[in-house]
Amino acid sequence: MRSSLGLRMRLAVRNLVRQRRRTLLSGAAMVVGMALLVFSRALAEGGHEDWIDAGVRLGSGHVSVQAPEYRRQRTIEHRLSSADRQVVEAALAEPGVARRLVAEAPRLTVQGLASSASSALPVGVTGVNPTAEQGFSLLPERLEAGRYLEPEDRLHAYVGARLAERLDLEPGDRFVLTAQDASGEIVGQMARVVGTFRTGIPEADEALVQIPLRTAQEWLGVPGAVTSIDLLLESSRAVRPVLASLETALGEGSGSVVALDWREAQPELDAAVRMDDWADYVFHAILFGIAALAIINTILMSVMQRTREFGVLRALGLRRAEVGRLVFAEGMLLTIVSGLAGMILGLAVVWLFFRDGLDFSSLMNEEMTAAGVVIDPVIVPRFHPTQIAQSLFFILSIGILASIYPAWRATRIDVAEAMKFSE
Amino acid sequence: MNESTAGPGRSSSQSATADEVRDGERPAAVRTEDLWKVFEHDDIRVEAVRGVTFRIDSGEFVVLAGPSGSGKTTLLNLIGGLTRPTDGQVWVDGREIGSLPDRDLAEIRLERVGFVFQAYNLLPVLTALENAEFTLLLRGVPAAERRSRVEKLFERIGIAGLEDRLPGKLSGGQQQRVAVARAVVGRPALVLADEPTANLDTATSASLIDLMAELNRELGTTFVFATHDPLLMERARRNVRLVDGSIVADERRD
Ligand SMILES: Nc1ncnc2c1ncn2[C@@H]1O[C@H](COP(=O)(O)OP(=O)(O)OP(=O)(O)O)[C@@H](O)[C@H]1O
Ligand SMILES: [Mg+2]
Repeated sequence: MRSSLGLRMRLAVRNLVRQRRRTLLSGAAMVVGMALLVFSRALAEGGHEDWIDAGVRLGSGHVSVQAPEYRRQRTIEHRLSSADRQVVEAALAEPGVARRLVAEAPRLTVQGLASSASSALPVGVTGVNPTAEQGFSLLPERLEAGRYLEPEDRLHAYVGARLAERLDLEPGDRFVLTAQDASGEIVGQMARVVGTFRTGIPEADEALVQIPLRTAQEWLGVPGAVTSIDLLLESSRAVRPVLASLETALGEGSGSVVALDWREAQPELDAAVRMDDWADYVFHAILFGIAALAIINTILMSVMQRTREFGVLRALGLRRAEVGRLVFAEGMLLTIVSGLAGMILGLAVVWLFFRDGLDFSSLMNEEMTAAGVVIDPVIVPRFHPTQIAQSLFFILSIGILASIYPAWRATRIDVAEAMKFSE
Repeated sequence: MNESTAGPGRSSSQSATADEVRDGERPAAVRTEDLWKVFEHDDIRVEAVRGVTFRIDSGEFVVLAGPSGSGKTTLLNLIGGLTRPTDGQVWVDGREIGSLPDRDLAEIRLERVGFVFQAYNLLPVLTALENAEFTLLLRGVPAAERRSRVEKLFERIGIAGLEDRLPGKLSGGQQQRVAVARAVVGRPALVLADEPTANLDTATSASLIDLMAELNRELGTTFVFATHDPLLMERARRNVRLVDGSIVADERRD
C-alpha cells in the first residue's frame, strides 16, 4: 500500500499544526487574499451591472432587434415593418425570452435638425411609446422642467436641457424638426416642448429629442414601422440565452430581422466595460500573486528546514516521488483550508455589511460619467454562482502552483547529504 | 555537487546471487567487491572509499572503526543504498544494489534494511508508536498487528508506556531506543547504525549497546555500526578498521 493518501494527509495535517505560527501567517494571507477576491468580485460584478444597466437604459437596451443594415447605416430606409414587428412579438413570447424580459421599447430613430426662432442644431429624434419608456429608459426620471410624454400626447417633445437652452426653448414653446422621410424628401414637423431632461451626459443633453412614436411615423411616412425594438433584460447575464432563443425563434433564413446585444449596439459602452474588466483582472492577478507567494514561502521554508526529516523518510524506504507527494499534500491542504475559509469570510463580510451597497459618493465630488453613463456612487455587490466557481478554481490553481516547486525541491534532496550530522 | 555514479553493473554481477548461495556456510548479509566512492567537486577529488572488498555474514555484530574522514559513513551509506558507488559492487541480502534504479533501492531499504542515525531519527510529528510502526505501515501490515508487534518490542526494550509521546517529549536515550525499535521491528536482513551512541552519555550508551547486542542474539538481526565509541567497539564481535577509505584491519573475537 506504500504511502497512502490517508498517511499523507495525516502527516500533512500534523506538520501544518506543528508549524503553527507559520501556517497561521500564510493561512491568514490566503484568507485575506480570498476574502478580498470574493469581495472585489462581488463589487466588480455589482458595479459592472449597475454600469451596464445605466448604459443600456439610456441606450438601446441589453438586446436591440433591428433590420440587418441599420447597425451600419442608421436611416429609416433600414426599418422594421409592421409585419416584421409581428414576427418579433411572436419571438418575444417564447418562454426562453419572455421569462427574462423586463421591458420592451419600440423606437423610431432618425437624425435631423431642430430649429427654433433663435437657431438650428443637429439632433437625434426618437419616436417612442411613453408608457413603454417609463419602465425602460432613464430619461423620464431625469426630468428637469415640465413633464414627460404621455400616451395621449401628439405634437409634444421631450428635449435635452442643454439643447433647449441653446435653442432658447422652455416648456410650452414650439420648434420645428426636419429630417428625411421614407422617400428621401426633407420633411418638417412642428412640436411643442413638454419637458426637458438632464442626464449629465453631454451627448444626450445636447442632442436628444423624444416625440410620440405615432407622430414620428406619420411625419416620416412609415406607419407602423420602427427602427428598433429594444429589450431590457433582468441582468446582463441573460443576454446570451435570450439571444440564443431569439435567433432560433426569428429564424435564420428570413434575414429581415437581427438581434444585437448591447456590446454590438453600443460599442462605446462595450469598450469602457472591457477596460474596467481589465482593471479587475490586474487587481485579481495581484491578489493571486500575493496569496501564491505566501503559500510558496511557507511550504518552501518548511521543506528547507526539514531536509533531515525527508532524509529519514527516504532512508526508511520512501521513494523520491512519495516525498514529493507528501510536500504537495501539505501545500494543497494549507491552500484549500485557508482558501475556503477566506472565501466564506469574504461572502460573510459582503453579506453582513454591504448587502445594501457601498457608497462611494465621498470619493466622487462631481457627478461622474463614463462612456455615456452616469456612474452611480452606490455600488451594490452582486453574487453569481460563477464567482464561487472562479474562487474555487483560484484556490486550486494557487495550491497547485505553490506546492509543485517545494515538492520538486523535496524530491531533489540527497539523502546522504541530508543525514550528515552537523549541529 | 558532482557525484560520479556507477554505470551498469559489471558482467560478474549477473551470477552473483548464485555465487552467494554457494559461498560459505552462512549467507552473506552484505558483500562488496572492489567498492569505490569518489566525490568530485570542481577540481577537488576525494576518494572516500577505495576498493573495499569484504563480506558481513548474517547475524554478525560488526563495527566499522577508523579515524574521522576514513570513510565509515560513506561505506555504510553505500551498503544501505543511500549513496551510489562510483565503481565496484555491493550486495545486500544477495542482491546487487549498486546499479538498481531509485525505486528498487527504496524497496530494498524498506524491506531489508533498518537505519539508526546519530540523532533526530524520528519524525517529529509522529508519536513513538507511530514512528516505530512506520515501515510496517508502508509495507501494508494491518493496524492491529503493527500495534501488537510494536508494543511487544517496546516492552522488550524498556520503553513501554511511551507509545503516545512525541519525540520532542522523549530523552535522547529513549529516542534512540524508539529508533532501534523501528529499525528491527520489520525483521530486516541488516541494521545500519551510524554513530548511534554519539549523542548519549556513557550510561545511556552502555544500555543501548546492551539492548542492541541482545536483539542481535535473540532475533539474529545483523548489526553494522560506524562508530568512534570505545564502548561499542568493545562489544563488537568483529572490528573492521578503515583508514583513508581502505580496510587496514579486520579482527574477529568471540
Ligand atoms: N558529499 C561529500 N562530498 C565530498 N566529500 C565527501 C562527501 N561525503 C564525505 N566526503 C569525504 O569523504 C571522506 C570520508 O567521509 P566519511 O563521512 O565517510 O568519513 P567518516 O569516517 O564517517 O568520518 P567521521 O568519523 O567524521 O564521521 C571525508 O574526507 C569526507 O570529507
Ligand atoms: Mg561518519
